[in-house]
Amino acid sequence: MSVAALRGRVIRAVGAGLWLAAASLAVTPAAADEAFITDQSASAVSVLDLATKKLVATIPVPGKPAGIAMAPDGRRAYVTSPEGQDVSVIDTAARRVLRTIKVGQDPLGIAIDPTGKFIYVADFDIPHLYKVDVHEGRVVGDAQIGASPRGVALTPDGKLIVAADRNDDQISILDAASFKRIAIVKVGSHPFGVTIDAQGKRAYTADVKSNTVSVVDLATHKLVGTVKTGLRPYVVALGKTSGYVTDEYAGTVTVFDLASLKTVKKINVGDYPEGIEFSPDGKMLYVVNWFSNDVWAIDPTTLKVTAKMQVGDGPRAFGTFIRKVP
Amino acid sequence: MKVLRFAAILVGLAAPSVAFAHGASRLKQVEAVEINAPAAKVWQVIGNFHDMSWLPGVATTTGPGGNKPDVAKREITLKSGAKIEESLYKYDAQEMSYSYFIDKVDLKVLPVTNYSSTLVVLPEGGKSKVEWRGAFFRGDPLFDPPPALNDDAATKAVKVLYRSGLDALKKKVEAAEATN
Repeated sequence: MSVAALRGRVIRAVGAGLWLAAASLAVTPAAADEAFITDQSASAVSVLDLATKKLVATIPVPGKPAGIAMAPDGRRAYVTSPEGQDVSVIDTAARRVLRTIKVGQDPLGIAIDPTGKFIYVADFDIPHLYKVDVHEGRVVGDAQIGASPRGVALTPDGKLIVAADRNDDQISILDAASFKRIAIVKVGSHPFGVTIDAQGKRAYTADVKSNTVSVVDLATHKLVGTVKTGLRPYVVALGKTSGYVTDEYAGTVTVFDLASLKTVKKINVGDYPEGIEFSPDGKMLYVVNWFSNDVWAIDPTTLKVTAKMQVGDGPRAFGTFIRKVP
Repeated sequence: MKVLRFAAILVGLAAPSVAFAHGASRLKQVEAVEINAPAAKVWQVIGNFHDMSWLPGVATTTGPGGNKPDVAKREITLKSGAKIEESLYKYDAQEMSYSYFIDKVDLKVLPVTNYSSTLVVLPEGGKSKVEWRGAFFRGDPLFDPPPALNDDAATKAVKVLYRSGLDALKKKVEAAEATN
């Protein structure tokens, strides 16, 4: 075969390939993930399309919104407003607030159970965790926990709830069915964010005052390890083999090995990073920078920053903020 | 009457523990100035953590640790006699930037709590831009603070501080450039 003929074939093949790609795009558009970012200073939620990396909507949410829990089906986002003393229920597709639910005095930390029926809200002013029925739109349970609680998380099976009792330097572990506290485990100084692994075995707290991540075994209720972080660690995200923690004052993400609990690397990010979460497929890590008003994407394999997306003033996204679009 | 007095005691007891919580949201303030001088020249003036002589109202700056993050501390004495204690937590000569927090300040001098700040010189061609960035809570982080300790008072005080510092810095550096 002549070179020209070969080239002709290659071009035809590439052409067909392009046509096929275009056709498949037209038939089944790739569902892009979205990020719902609570812009506390702006009293709004910014919606980012994570495929095009563009801001696609801004939803006004009064009361200085800070915490967020994304429903497992991605249809609702629940946003805490400490100054509004409520939770806003957001219709994620329609980009609007459906209603607000009054919860406590200073609602901040929030998590949703795997069925999507209940949200759990920690009050950072008084030592309470509230259970809210999202269909009834009201508080249906109230449990006493430690002082000035911040982050809340559930095990993937929905059986355990963990709250970071910041001013008591401990976590409270609650049985979700009875909504009763079953254990207290001492951790580092001033735990803020709390994250539970996919197996539901370990909880990781970011301890802002001791500059550590504490690792707690949820079966034995024991502190099993401590990781040294940068200054003012805030929230932990968990990959398959590594953990990633935002260091608020240092302006870094500390990467640590989940087996050895040794620090692997520090990645420079924006100013005052707070919220951090993986994409649903685990291929991208998103970091929300409170001071610099942006969200950075990090490739967890290369540990390189691949995108920077501008959002509104004072973004926090404290909780689960990534929406897998159905 | 007895009940009332008891309630008052309870409130009094509760107050110290509540004081650790922040009913307020964190605030931020950024002020900037363009200076008609190369960035390196500006950094020469502000790059020493223990020299705040460029800030109007400062009498002396003393303290240990040089420019070493997590080690260096400084005590700024104002001409009024007031003292401010600060710690360095980030220093990058390459980026011409350092960050510090206030360990101790009289709320009458600066009505803020939990204050951290960054100074950075950004090269802009042969000129430069200096940014002074602050993150802080108001002086009284509880609900319903008095006017002197609310969000507006905190933001305004920080803005006035940054403006006076940056405007004086511009004058000082540009005057030095003019004599060269």
